[in-house]
Amino acid sequence: MWAGLIIHDQGCYLHSDDKATRQMTKTLTALGLESSCDDTAAAVVRLDADGPSILSSVVEGQTDLHALYGGVVPEIAARAHTEKLDYCIELALQNADMTLTDLDAIAVTAGPGLIGGVLSGVMCAKGLSAATGLPLIGVNHLAGHALTPRLTDQLQYPYLMLLVSGGHCQFLIVRSATDYTRLGGTIDDAPGEAFDKTARLLGLPQPGGPSVEQEALKGDPKRFAFPRPLLDRDGCDMSFSGLKTAVLRARDAVIAEHQGLPTKDRADLCAGFQAAVTDVLVEKTRRALRIYLDEKPDHPALAVAGGVAANQTIRTGLLHLTEQLNTRFVAPPLALCTDNAAMIAYAGAELFQLGHSDDLTLSARPRWPLDQSSAPMLGFGKKGAKA
Amino acid sequence: MQAKSNILAFDTSAAHCAAALLCDQTLVSERCEAMAKGQAEHLMPLLEELLRDARLNWRDLDAIGVGVGPGNFTGLRISVSAARGLAMGLNIPAVGVPCLEAQGFLGGDETPVISVSAAPRDQYYADLIQDGQGRGPKLLADNALPSYPTRAEPYVLGHRAEELGAMHGLQVIKPAFPLAEGIARLAMRRMRSTTDRPKPLYVRAADAAPPRDPAPVILP
Repeated sequence: MWAGLIIHDQGCYLHSDDKATRQMTKTLTALGLESSCDDTAAAVVRLDADGPSILSSVVEGQTDLHALYGGVVPEIAARAHTEKLDYCIELALQNADMTLTDLDAIAVTAGPGLIGGVLSGVMCAKGLSAATGLPLIGVNHLAGHALTPRLTDQLQYPYLMLLVSGGHCQFLIVRSATDYTRLGGTIDDAPGEAFDKTARLLGLPQPGGPSVEQEALKGDPKRFAFPRPLLDRDGCDMSFSGLKTAVLRARDAVIAEHQGLPTKDRADLCAGFQAAVTDVLVEKTRRALRIYLDEKPDHPALAVAGGVAANQTIRTGLLHLTEQLNTRFVAPPLALCTDNAAMIAYAGAELFQLGHSDDLTLSARPRWPLDQSSAPMLGFGKKGAKA
Repeated sequence: MQAKSNILAFDTSAAHCAAALLCDQTLVSERCEAMAKGQAEHLMPLLEELLRDARLNWRDLDAIGVGVGPGNFTGLRISVSAARGLAMGLNIPAVGVPCLEAQGFLGGDETPVISVSAAPRDQYYADLIQDGQGRGPKLLADNALPSYPTRAEPYVLGHRAEELGAMHGLQVIKPAFPLAEGIARLAMRRMRSTTDRPKPLYVRAADAAPPRDPAPVILP
């Protein structure tokens, strides 16, 4: 009798709807969409008892579309996102060997970022959510980056995050998927933007991060004494726009002397620029770590995210710093440091587990600080802090 | 004859949020709300309202019709992105319908029509619609109209139609349907032959210029 019941139960279990099975094992499968800058991305991430896993991650870059203009053109980016995103989603589902019915939630970057692209992603996600009845979760792009070390290394809260990319630069104490303390950040440009600008000034290819780093290997970092902005000031704020101007002046002086830019001088300019960025980032990270470690976290850790975190000189500087301070250093693989949708799917899944979801009136937001309590970053520079 | 079908069409190409629900050639429900901004927030609830009015579910739809412009770039992307998401989620076609064709659609194919809509800076978009098809919208100014050979003298309709008609000696007519309904009716006609996914009809290129400062001369 009992045996019969058990067999019957198992039969039901096997033939029951996937969703019931997932709820029993607490598995959560989320689709993520990302379109806030110049990468169109879709990914499927699963959370289960063993932790998170990335089932697929598709990133369609737009570097070629913007190459002519020496920077991301918002209108060109928005046009590309609108026409590529659904194809990326189909590919992500295909690579995960899934259909929409296998999903539990749809997560989408709802800001901050270039509004045209964010809007395309948000509207596409709303269409999918309305059509399938799946919950919709608007994710802060910065939360996606900030939670990536949990996706890759299952890092425990609270940890210190240095988010450093072409569009962002800030220190965050990450306490939960919804609780962040911003310790400081750039008051104007992001370092990634400074790398791109330096590459442009010196006739190196875009994106500037890898090309300037490559060139810097051959150069003398001490020859050009570039400024270390805001190191003389307390706190964790940084500034990189003056550094771009300093590189321009030094370059023009070299050109005036030689009627052109000799490759040796170019390498020295790159090395000097990179050394200045590294010094600022490492020193400000030291200060941020001091504030964070004062809280006596159980498992002290510094995590980095963003494309600039791929720079070996910066990475080495940060690694040495964490060694001195007995803090774990976590740097996710490059593909998960730069913009991707796996981080959005993961952040969406964590938010969904906490009971968060959005309705079909979800807005796309060009600015959306993670730490709502920190002072707004308006009023600096020409249009306010860009990063 | 066409099979029975339910078509939901919408448009945010200008300062409005417009939608129409067509069931088997009959207009069941329709809305056009004027709004300068907020279309991204309003569009989906508006569509759900239309479905509710008709006691239909998303699953009852057979095709989506969407206005692809020309018009406000952001507005075009709002509707086109939503249409593509809906089409994928429902596994039904999304038919992109040029707005000037929808505006100039009179219910049949016979009459050639010059369909005009507003563009920024005193300019306007115009297209010649004949046999249910446009030739491709043009961005025009200074009272010009597109000149194409037509079977008969075309009518003119839409933005500044009275003025342009008087100037060019063309007869003015009123659109036969509100914009979203025109989109729905053309989408119904085209849903079985359309294979391309909808994409915005921008007409104007993205405003972008290469950087002014030239790259330095590199010496060996």
